[in-house]
Amino acid sequence: MNPYMERKVELRWCEPKQSYDVVIIGGGGHGLATAYYLATRHGITNVAVLERSYVGSGNSGRNTTVIRANYGIPEAVRFYQRSLDLYQRLEDETDRDLMHMSKGVLWLAHSEMGVRQERARAEINQAFGAKTDFVTPEEVKKLCPPIDLSGGGVWPVMGGTYHSEGATARHDRVVWAFAEGAMREGAHVHQRVEVTGLTRVGDRVTGVETNAGPISAGVVLSAVGGHVTRIADMAGLRIPIRTHQLQAFVTNHYQLQFDPIVSSSDLLFYVSQTARGEMLMGAEIDRQPSYSYQSGHPFLRATAFRAMTLLPFLRDLRVLRQWTGVCDMSPDYSPVLGKTGVEGFYISTGWGTWGFKAIPASGEQLAQLIATGETPPLIAPFALDRFRRDRTLADRGSAGTH
Amino acid sequence: MSPGNGFRVDGAEVVFLNRDSLLDAMLRAGLHPTGGGCLCCAGDCPHCLATVDGVGYVRTCQVRAASEMSVSRDHQGGSYPPLSLDTPPLTPDSTGGPVRYLHCDVVVIGQGETGRAAAAEAEAQGKSVLALDVTEEAEVIGIYPGPLVVARSPAGMLHVEPGEIVVATGAAEIQPVAPGSDLSGIFTRRAAARLAAAGVELGRVVAIGEPPTGLQCEVVEGTLVRFEGEGSVSAVVVATAGGAQRSYSCAAVSVALGFQPRDVLARMANGIGGSLRVRVIGEAAKPADVPACPQEGIVCPCSQVSVAHLDAVWDRGFREMELVKRATLAGTGTCQGGVCIPYLRSFLADRGAELQSPFTARPLAKQRTLGEIAAGAYYHATPRTALDAEHRRLGAQMERSGGWFRPWRYADPAEECHAVREAVSICDVSTLGKMRVSGPDALELLERLYPTPVSTLKPGRSRYALLLDEKGYVLDDGLICRDERADGPPRYRLTFTSGGSTLAELWMRDWAESWGLDVRLMNQTMSLGAINVTGPMAAELLFRAGTQTLPSFGGHGVSRVAGVSCRIFRLSFTGELSYELHHAAGDSVALWRRLLELGDDLGCRPHGLDALLRLRLEKGHILVGQDTDFDSTPRRIAHEWAVKLDKGDFVGRLSVLRTNRIPLDRQLVGLEMESPAPIEGAVIWHEGEFAGYVTSSTDSPALGRAVMLGWVATVDGDATLPAEVTIADRPARRVATPFYDREGQRARVVVETPAPTASAVAAGRGRSNATSLPRLEEVGDGSFCRVSLSRVVATQAAISELAEVFAGEAVCLRVAADEILVDAPVSAEQVSDPHALVERESGFAAARFAVETAADLLRATCEWCLPESRPAFAQGSVADLPVKLWLEESHVFFLVPEPFALELEQRLGEARS
Repeated sequence: MNPYMERKVELRWCEPKQSYDVVIIGGGGHGLATAYYLATRHGITNVAVLERSYVGSGNSGRNTTVIRANYGIPEAVRFYQRSLDLYQRLEDETDRDLMHMSKGVLWLAHSEMGVRQERARAEINQAFGAKTDFVTPEEVKKLCPPIDLSGGGVWPVMGGTYHSEGATARHDRVVWAFAEGAMREGAHVHQRVEVTGLTRVGDRVTGVETNAGPISAGVVLSAVGGHVTRIADMAGLRIPIRTHQLQAFVTNHYQLQFDPIVSSSDLLFYVSQTARGEMLMGAEIDRQPSYSYQSGHPFLRATAFRAMTLLPFLRDLRVLRQWTGVCDMSPDYSPVLGKTGVEGFYISTGWGTWGFKAIPASGEQLAQLIATGETPPLIAPFALDRFRRDRTLADRGSAGTH
Repeated sequence: MSPGNGFRVDGAEVVFLNRDSLLDAMLRAGLHPTGGGCLCCAGDCPHCLATVDGVGYVRTCQVRAASEMSVSRDHQGGSYPPLSLDTPPLTPDSTGGPVRYLHCDVVVIGQGETGRAAAAEAEAQGKSVLALDVTEEAEVIGIYPGPLVVARSPAGMLHVEPGEIVVATGAAEIQPVAPGSDLSGIFTRRAAARLAAAGVELGRVVAIGEPPTGLQCEVVEGTLVRFEGEGSVSAVVVATAGGAQRSYSCAAVSVALGFQPRDVLARMANGIGGSLRVRVIGEAAKPADVPACPQEGIVCPCSQVSVAHLDAVWDRGFREMELVKRATLAGTGTCQGGVCIPYLRSFLADRGAELQSPFTARPLAKQRTLGEIAAGAYYHATPRTALDAEHRRLGAQMERSGGWFRPWRYADPAEECHAVREAVSICDVSTLGKMRVSGPDALELLERLYPTPVSTLKPGRSRYALLLDEKGYVLDDGLICRDERADGPPRYRLTFTSGGSTLAELWMRDWAESWGLDVRLMNQTMSLGAINVTGPMAAELLFRAGTQTLPSFGGHGVSRVAGVSCRIFRLSFTGELSYELHHAAGDSVALWRRLLELGDDLGCRPHGLDALLRLRLEKGHILVGQDTDFDSTPRRIAHEWAVKLDKGDFVGRLSVLRTNRIPLDRQLVGLEMESPAPIEGAVIWHEGEFAGYVTSSTDSPALGRAVMLGWVATVDGDATLPAEVTIADRPARRVATPFYDREGQRARVVVETPAPTASAVAAGRGRSNATSLPRLEEVGDGSFCRVSLSRVVATQAAISELAEVFAGEAVCLRVAADEILVDAPVSAEQVSDPHALVERESGFAAARFAVETAADLLRATCEWCLPESRPAFAQGSVADLPVKLWLEESHVFFLVPEPFALELEQRLGEARS
């Protein structure tokens, strides 16, 4: 019997009501976590999460499950460190096995400029509480012996950073733990309910139209991935988000022998071994905006080649499966969350390629916002109006690819 | 059949016969690859997996046995193979192996009877057909948008772009799900027949359902209940229609339980949608048989999921096919649901009264290694300047910077800095973006693009300018230089940062087209070399090199330096007297060497990027990309002086006006402190609060302290900046820039032209150092060399006329509607457009290949379809590089921007071997 079988989670489904205090659009990690924290932290349980497919069917079930806080600006380091801390406690809190494994993130540099960038990363991380150290090539080799420091004679490893608290958890388990936790407190999660419109009275959003009929709501939160511009449009909002493809692939299963998450900004790929033993690889987003879930061969070929440059043993492993998610990219590579200027309508988007690692903190903070009406300081910098206020949070260098 | 050689299984010799698969031979030797499970001998199940020659997850039924093969049974009992972490590293010329790019009207996947008939029919219609047959070890791994069919063949990977796809992959036999299904000795009906035909002794065979052909067996009636035995099957129990159970002792069981179409590729192709033409025929197109809902036993052998497990997750709310898959991991193993999908469907239909669809079909349909998949992949190419080999010869550490290889340092950067400050030094700045602009609307275009006034720029003068995007953020910076001639509409030369020229060209073309402006644009970044001669003795060196006239600060003009025609720009990034020599890239090496020779006794030495970055920092010059971010407004980087809001409209003006009304939050400022300099990226604190970070930092030998640029937050929500901050726990002061030579006297020093000496006259007028380059028609076979061409940018009509004039006389490559390369001298008088840009072009390298060689090379490096007429011109990506092809009957010329020539030559060399 495989040890990866889900054995505890119990999902309780029920029929939609006509009215809730809070309606959350999108049954992925972000929407479910918000429902979970509303119920467990604020006692708000008259909540429905609406999912047009099955829970976790979008990016929550397609991401590469990396948890890290080694960002490049203080606002992001603080926020993702909060999320990383919540993740570390989440198994105890929910009494569910999330297959959470602290394994460290090794970020490699292959040029003088890359080394400079990694030194800067370590510096800003340490200043804001993330455990990141600059490492020499010798230390890289010690942390991850299979790495070819010569980079195939083309991309020599000149240094890097090691983010010791970097971790992974199984994405589906996280989704289910939050769903179950919210359901247990009385929140509703409805699968196959698709939002087709927002009901508005004056300037205020008062509910949603769905394929299962209208549902009124005190507050509506959009926590969708990939199609946020369509939902925002229903609220009469134009938001600066473009949707791009992000692809990944796994090999077959092998014995667990590979520890850290290895990443290279110059070669644009990253790799880790999943709890089940697959080697998991990803790269950067496709430049062309798209809503398509179609996988492409150029990505697979290029990423396979770059990965085996640094980790030669990957060459003889067989690729099992590739897939695609879609990422909502903001102009400054930072998320957009909180109030929108439209009464009764909140938003959680711009999660780009880094949505999974943000799930607990985003859920916690948005729940606090919904419960109190006040934007918590941790997420205040990420408000939508920052673009109007010329207070963008440029974090291109560290947003990276995972 | 005659005995062949042997291969090794876990170290022991196994003898095989001709035409044996590895599985046939192993079974004959009594070795089940995984220890048990129903074998299909058709590549559908996970029960014959083994590690073969170091590669795990190989289906031994699909591999023809050969001597010297080494098989490890790493998959026994469902265990995972180990990672072999000590694989030897890649070498610089490693690729994934050969790849061939093919184009055809129809690709037929699967060569059973149906597939063969479809192929024959298409051929009879005169279509070009490619048949991919699994029995010839051609495995299709995926169908992608394009459409692109990717297959692995014994000769390497195939990338096929068909007009139509015919999927004739047949059907797989449904596997048994019952207690004991993991014993050995269980076979699908076809597998039993195949093994019997291969001479594998199966012992006493009981057949459930239709019996296998060519084999003695006992046929039993009823439905399968369980298999019994220790390790291998010794009895099978079936239930009759009446419910009674009966056991049959046996050594092997043949099961015939129906079929599941092998429709992964069909579903993959249909998922692409659009105009893709896909036909699914034969067994693959038939609806799947839905077996009875399993009662007990393993449903998914890859993930060891039993009926009890399915019930357990069902009862806890996991009721959608995808959720059941994710909760149990059924269908996520190496057969990707091939075995379990029929049973998952029948289970869910039984419990939920709804037949759910199989999960999404994703590549790879057949698994191959990363090494195989990487076939034909290349690293992103890094171009090299014409002086690349010179730098390497001088022992420079090369760095990829701004998309180019550049010398980081030759030896000690402090000595390089010293040479600039105290004597003279040269630096390869060929990577600078370089663009020419002419045409009736040239001034109008620049006036609308740049935030600085352009009309006031006098002939022969230049001006620093920022380039802004619509949001008012800094995109790039560089110079606007107006040509000397005073008559006619002005013409300009623009420079951009090394990494910025491609974007700048797109930016300019996009806006020119959007506004409908009549301009000619020529990007000369790869055509021109540029050497910066800098230091107090820079003029002395140039006079020694025979230069007659030097421009004054901010000016530029043409002069000969060491016999090479140069456009000399007098400006300064280092802070010292500087002359930037722009010249035909073909002359770079001669010019570089001569300058080093002539400057030897002056202490002239080259400096690299490291020294350059320090020198410019002492002058407080920003580096776009390092000191700026993508939301840097001119105000934020303290460059408001470079923006004239009252000059009329320009891109970004409205945004700058808007953001200027918002209180300033942070600014890029000059900072200094005692040495040692903190790292670039060091955090800046003010009164215990985060204030920003350092973007550039160096110890200044000239000043005896550390100087920095960095972001510092304003205080109290207004524009006040703190005077004192803390960096690396030490005090630092905000200071005005430049740090060094604040008045700029060194850079602006007035240079007197001396009376020419005899030796200088000799150096200047003597033999020309201009390198003589062959024409395209003169290049030799197989190896690339720099060629001399003419390059013309003009109106489409003028270019068409020119092409007619030279037709039959010289090779003409129409690279764009408004641009042509001609393999002959062209003078401006020959072009009917008065605004035409006509240049000698030495920025390309070319090689000639015989037509057969070229065809071979292109099949392995060129993904797109070539034209069929001859002669023909084509351009696009070849070996992932920007290549132009001139195709004649007997030979083909390959042209490539010279900075990529070395890389292309290597890549073609690999393709040929």
